[in-house]
Amino acid sequence: MIQVKAELFADLDGTVAGLHKALQNAIELEHSTIPPYLYALYSLKPGVNLEIAALIKSIVLEEMLHMALDCNVLNAIKGSPRIDDPCFLPKYPGHLPGAVEGQLIVPLAPFSKQLVYDVFMVIEEPEDPLHFPVKALALAEAEKPLTIGQFYEKIIEQIKQLKPGDFSKDASRQLTTGFGPLRTIHVHDVDSAVEAIRLIVEQGEGTKKSPLDPEDQPAHYYRYAEIYYGKKLIANPDPKPGELPYAYAGHSIAFDPGGVWPVISNPHSDSYAPGTKARLMNDTFNYTYTSLLKCLHLVFNGEPDRLGPAIGLMESMKEQALVMMSTVTVPGQTAGPSFQFNPVNA
Amino acid sequence: MSYLNSLRLHFAGKFQAAPSTVNNDPVHFDNRTFIPSYQKFGTGQSPRDVNGWWNPVGDAAWRLIGCRISAAWMKQAPAPASDPIHGCLIADSDRSVSAKLVDLDPEQQMVSEVWGMEIRICTENGTTLLRSHYKTAAFIDIWSRAPVQGDSAFGATYQSTLHDLEWGGIESSPFLQALRDSSVESGKLSIKFNVDGYNMNPGPDFTLGRIVGTIGPCAAGEPDHLVLGRHFMAPPQNPTPYQLNYCPAVVDAQARKIYVDLGNALPTTTPGGDIQPMGTLSLAYVDTKPESIGTIDYQLPRWYESTAGVVELPSRRALTSDELNAVQTNPLAWLAADTTGTLQAGIQEPPGGLYARADQFVFRMEPEQKSEVRVFATRFGAPLPGARIVNVFDPSGLQPSSIIGTAPAVAVPEDALNFPCRIVTGPDGIATLTLHAVDPGNPRSYIDGQVYGVRPMLEATLAYGTNYPFNPVEFISVLVFNRFKTDGPPTWYGSLQPIFVQYANLYPIMNRFLDLKDYESVCNNAKLLLLAFSLRREDPNSMPVTRDLSDAKRAAILEWFRNPGPDGKPLMGSPPPAVESRKVAAPSPAPAAGPPAEPMRGGKTAALARRLFLLRGKSLI
Repeated sequence: MIQVKAELFADLDGTVAGLHKALQNAIELEHSTIPPYLYALYSLKPGVNLEIAALIKSIVLEEMLHMALDCNVLNAIKGSPRIDDPCFLPKYPGHLPGAVEGQLIVPLAPFSKQLVYDVFMVIEEPEDPLHFPVKALALAEAEKPLTIGQFYEKIIEQIKQLKPGDFSKDASRQLTTGFGPLRTIHVHDVDSAVEAIRLIVEQGEGTKKSPLDPEDQPAHYYRYAEIYYGKKLIANPDPKPGELPYAYAGHSIAFDPGGVWPVISNPHSDSYAPGTKARLMNDTFNYTYTSLLKCLHLVFNGEPDRLGPAIGLMESMKEQALVMMSTVTVPGQTAGPSFQFNPVNA
Repeated sequence: MSYLNSLRLHFAGKFQAAPSTVNNDPVHFDNRTFIPSYQKFGTGQSPRDVNGWWNPVGDAAWRLIGCRISAAWMKQAPAPASDPIHGCLIADSDRSVSAKLVDLDPEQQMVSEVWGMEIRICTENGTTLLRSHYKTAAFIDIWSRAPVQGDSAFGATYQSTLHDLEWGGIESSPFLQALRDSSVESGKLSIKFNVDGYNMNPGPDFTLGRIVGTIGPCAAGEPDHLVLGRHFMAPPQNPTPYQLNYCPAVVDAQARKIYVDLGNALPTTTPGGDIQPMGTLSLAYVDTKPESIGTIDYQLPRWYESTAGVVELPSRRALTSDELNAVQTNPLAWLAADTTGTLQAGIQEPPGGLYARADQFVFRMEPEQKSEVRVFATRFGAPLPGARIVNVFDPSGLQPSSIIGTAPAVAVPEDALNFPCRIVTGPDGIATLTLHAVDPGNPRSYIDGQVYGVRPMLEATLAYGTNYPFNPVEFISVLVFNRFKTDGPPTWYGSLQPIFVQYANLYPIMNRFLDLKDYESVCNNAKLLLLAFSLRREDPNSMPVTRDLSDAKRAAILEWFRNPGPDGKPLMGSPPPAVESRKVAAPSPAPAAGPPAEPMRGGKTAALARRLFLLRGKSLI
């Protein structure tokens, strides 16, 4: 599991300003998972490994939802998400923002089961996985780690201390389209803010009693485990005493290793020489990605109607990434986007 | 006013244009005969090898890349070196997808328009100093500018205006403040850019070309796509090596200067390369004989990038009163010295300085729609009041031809597009030409609607017969859509399948997202498709990217998405009975009669080869 730095908890000092800071950190953390997941997703060749692609895509979409929910909560308590800043982007390979250093290093890498096991399942691992622990991470520290789930619990705790006057009534600062839950959870008071954060935690980790989220989908950790084990997680129809209520015993999730582009790992713009086709594609991708962050910044700062253009930018990124990942740069290797801040396409 | 002004900036860099080339052949629009190889890259020039031409995976993106401001001028002098405008860039949008480059029609590919472009002036770190919307415009004056074969040889030019101006922090830039002040009344600026050196060969520069341009003021009431000024007319058969292309100029009587835009007029040694040496190039007025006004330094290093071809003459002095009088009443000409030192007229204004042109010259029209076209008439650049303008059908610039089969005829029936034969300019030299479209009745079968050419001409020039110099490409292109009715509540099989199949065929890049031929795939992506089909044509995300969907078909698609059946999916309807004979064999390419089209050298080369440019149509008088 990801361990969160103690400083992040220190921000939560009982003040509204501290809560603003913590939610900004949460937004950055949610966003930071998206490039690595997308990188793996887009490395899958079209028409093969379809179920794996669908699972990853479903997780990525929920990470986007979580980022939006965090933004809505921050806006609801009169904060302002900062998304168009070069500092908003994590560096890959690197630690996720707010995570304890010396722990998991998250790369941009093509899909492999090992990547899912070593990285994605670690990112998504709940504090206490429900008896499907595929892996026990050696703890770097002796004391009990502080997890993302606990970070969110602490946020919930402090939201509950807020007064009605701490909430904004500005509807333009709430995104209420794009995802189903955004239509139903209008963050405007303590209860709705808690509901929003609770959904993030449960979609990511499941509940303490079930691997399923409130929408009866396996939480992210278990969806990645399905990919790793190559089997769907199903309810054990007839659990005997001592047996688990769920098992990776559903239909097979086939993985065709030939259905993955041999994409470069951890590209940087310098990985591509100036003047090459790959450099042009990477610069243009990064310009589009930066444009998306600028557009999302507007979406979450009073211009929610810009979600349409933002979706267009996401689709454009997808198209560009797919072209890059099928473009051979050196024998046996294709290009991949470096997800860096590039405010001018020069 | 216009960008040909003492207040202006120039920029230079690269553009990217990545159209899908599957739709370059009109016969590819026929769903019945479409075969998968039309989506493959072409492998040769022969009709059997041409497949989907040279870029079947194009996504229509139009981008500005590394366009740096190369000069800024105020009051006949460079903007102060301390002005932060130096070092800024001209960039496209940083909050929406790329603009799109789109042909009007497979049988009129010579007016490709840039849609949905935002133009910014920004600093090196991306801070926006000006954000604006580029009014959709088509290229004009395409010509063979470099001595090679194919589209790489071509140069062309785009003139338009910038709207919805949003100024950023320009306090420290006197230049940008002056530009802003110039826009207060009209709310817009004038922009012109020239494109050449387009690269179609696989490699790092694939789909890239050179762009140089100019931004300056635009007065209220000025045309958006035309310089209200002097127009040099290239001779019908350009002699080499002194070939110059059509170009405009403006005489600033107050400043006693002439501004000429040679940005798309000078030949180059290679595609996107240096300007071809032509010896001394001098601007003259032609009274009883040519009188030179001044020469230009076009051979200096980086002259083209730093001027975008705009020159101010005479340099280092003003026109004398006599010269000013002379240039206002006599044709202007560019003279080039040949190898013996003899001056040759490279290009000049027509006798009498008469000129007329439509401002906007590309239209998409629905049945029963009326469109008003502003036609500007001038004599030596001054508005020409009371001028009679004759309008005729002129389909000679259209391209009804196919490499692999027989293309549908264009411009018929003529009674689907109505307009007055004669119009007269008002005191301001402007006449309004009203186009009235009616349902053409599906004359092209598998291509929606019909495409027409309409040419307005000054009646006074007709006395010269066909000898009066004119610019063949200056006609109005009109696409009139068919009427379209659905099968009651629209269903996939009843009305919409052929529309989606055609887009799937002609725009294979969409296969990366969904299969537009497949009902289930379309249903699975209904939300995104509804969003994209709901957008205005001007939106860069608008579907279809080709901007060739009629309002009626768009309305049917939206109705279909918005009214799903009990299963939550848009209505499928009943599949037609499978009839073997419905499938029609793909055309079997035969050796082309007529000029070789050379499709793999580019769509514009092929389209140019298919134009006739024979002025014909209704009786003129």
